[in-house]
Amino acid sequence: MRVTQNIITSNFISYINQNAENLLKTQQQVASQKRINKSSDDPIGMGQVLGYRTKLAVTGQYQKNIEQAMTRIEFNEVTLDLASNLVDMARGLAAEYSGSTQSAAARQSAALQAKDIYNQIMQIANSKFNGNYIFSGHATDTVPFSHVGDFNAGYNGDDGDFRIMVSDNVEVNLVADGRKVFQDAANGGVNIFDELKNLIDGLEDPDPVAGSAQIEATLDVLQDGRDQINNRRSEYALSLYRLQATDEYMTNLRSKMEEAMATLEQADITKAVVELQNLELAYETTIATAARIIQPSLLDFLR
Amino acid sequence: MDIFGVLNMGSKALMVQQKGIYVTGNNIANVNTPGYSRQRLNMSSDVPLNTGIGPVGSGVTANEIERVYQRFLGVQINNETQSLGQREAHKDALERVEVVFNESGGYGLNHVMSEFWNAWQDLTNNPSGPVERTVLVAKSEMLAATFSKSYEDLQKIQRDIDSSIEVSVEEINRLSENMVDLNQKIIQTELGGHTANDYRDQRDLVLKELSELIDIGSFEDANGGVTVSVGSGQVLVEGTRSYKLSTQPDVSGLQDVTWVDSSGNTVTITNDISKGKLKGWLDARDLDIDRHLNNLDTLAHDLMEAVNTVHASGYGLDGSTLNNFFTGAATAAGIEVNPLIANDTNLIAAANGPDKPGDSSNAIAIANLQEAPMMNGNTTTFGAYYDSMVSDAGFAVQQATSYYDHQSQMVLQVENYRESISGVSIDEETVNLIKYQNAYQAAAKLINTADEMMETILSMI
Repeated sequence: MRVTQNIITSNFISYINQNAENLLKTQQQVASQKRINKSSDDPIGMGQVLGYRTKLAVTGQYQKNIEQAMTRIEFNEVTLDLASNLVDMARGLAAEYSGSTQSAAARQSAALQAKDIYNQIMQIANSKFNGNYIFSGHATDTVPFSHVGDFNAGYNGDDGDFRIMVSDNVEVNLVADGRKVFQDAANGGVNIFDELKNLIDGLEDPDPVAGSAQIEATLDVLQDGRDQINNRRSEYALSLYRLQATDEYMTNLRSKMEEAMATLEQADITKAVVELQNLELAYETTIATAARIIQPSLLDFLR
Repeated sequence: MDIFGVLNMGSKALMVQQKGIYVTGNNIANVNTPGYSRQRLNMSSDVPLNTGIGPVGSGVTANEIERVYQRFLGVQINNETQSLGQREAHKDALERVEVVFNESGGYGLNHVMSEFWNAWQDLTNNPSGPVERTVLVAKSEMLAATFSKSYEDLQKIQRDIDSSIEVSVEEINRLSENMVDLNQKIIQTELGGHTANDYRDQRDLVLKELSELIDIGSFEDANGGVTVSVGSGQVLVEGTRSYKLSTQPDVSGLQDVTWVDSSGNTVTITNDISKGKLKGWLDARDLDIDRHLNNLDTLAHDLMEAVNTVHASGYGLDGSTLNNFFTGAATAAGIEVNPLIANDTNLIAAANGPDKPGDSSNAIAIANLQEAPMMNGNTTTFGAYYDSMVSDAGFAVQQATSYYDHQSQMVLQVENYRESISGVSIDEETVNLIKYQNAYQAAAKLINTADEMMETILSMI
């Protein structure tokens, strides 16, 4: 083949462009530490990376939901612990006054104590978390329990659960219906408020014998009422346990996904640097050889 | 065979060698001229004289200046250049499209969609929370804005392509006129029986430049003029006449390429263009970008519809229901957050009944749409649909780049092949220069000798 200076220069330009382009690509990888800097670097890989990113974002969100729900459960727990203790106190009062040996004055003061307990429990049942009532179902802006008559509590909420999204289409439901905690007579449970009223009535009964009988009758029911509260607490504890387990699982999942994404997306720096060195060498060699080939012509050797 | 014959022979030789130096000089001068084919002086021995001792040579004569050239290579270069133009324009356009789908920084539609769904989940944690509601509206507005920005960016590329097409059509018309001019010069020059070497080189170059822009058919008439046709046989140049190409907007406002006949009637040739930069741009504009625009519209439409259906079935904090969350045209450019909701976040329907501020059922139902297979006949989630669009754009660039790289190698090869036949080699020309110079010196010596011979004779008188 007849070789002219123009063939040499155009080939040289083509090679040097190629080398420079490869060099630039590898430099980009080293600088950004990423193998995939744009979709065309690896279209399938990019699709997978985006899939992981979406998954990571939604998993992060689920963990955020779980974290908030756990705070809510802890708040419920503190609240119901208090309620349970108060019912216990009422039952202690009932046990103490179920014999008719107490004086009228003592029973009067016990009645005051029982009323105080009643009011405290109602206050607890009307607790707010984050500005929302926790025991009024979905009617979180409505006071769950209010006085209908003297020591007669009416429920104003509904039967809605507090729902937490913990995973794709998986929810954990927390009971937010105050009746299921304090007034579950409809389901064969105890209406704690009514029972406390019975106790108060018994203590205030001018006839000590009839009063004592009424007080005695509340003993077992109050016990059941306390159990009712504690049952809810153990349900919450179970949910809490489930949330914690899910949270742990998701933390694991996230680190696995991050690892997989890194393998897919991140550049192998050692490899990239070695490649960069190779490419630099190739680039320099191309330039050096071109410099020697392009320069001379026959003219350099005449005379 | 007399002294004058020698003198005459010497003078002819001087002239011919001088021509040789001239041709060599022209080659050297044009070593870097694009499209230049090296020229060669063809010489032969002159008609011999018949004498008593048989025919005696009468020196040298220059026949013609020949252009070293291979015709089929010119055709091949034009063909490969047409493909190269197409691949290059296609690749460049697709690379710009890919930028619209750039997700590497994590701020594209993928990211914004995640944020949108997460805002719904945040609302499920506190269905009556004003902060959660305000954030949800902000994230939704961001989603709508990102949709329309992507859409507009793609349309912007379409418009840029359109202006490239318009400029190219102007360029084609300029080249056609150029070609007519050259045809005329060649026909005139060649009437005298000699080849118009330099004009032919220039005309070949114009053909190559045309080829880069559009696919052409060309042939040469008997008188040396070239006819060039485009599209489905529309004549662009016919000897010394040229026709014009023009552009005019089609129904969707994008430019069609048209051919204008001598009486000003236009023929649309957009779909008949099969190579050259015009084809690359048209493909990117009418196929690739159009597909992305449609996909974006489908995504925006389906997402809007799915969210609206669930949202309308729920209840706001104020007891309102049957409200759409998104309004505007169900397209990527048209989607927007219902202005009523943007003004009053209480209208966001998180509950599935009135007076249930703590109910997050409807918000959960909407948040669950993220993982629901809603697209492609209920097989693909919204996110995965978009991710595949990003992959698609990347794959198109990858493919176009590999076509382009391959085609540039092809063109380089063919060009090198042409160069190896027609290109000027400085070394070779230097050798020729020395050769002609030596011959010139020798011819001068011949005249000198004849002169001395003449003097000898004259001194005898």
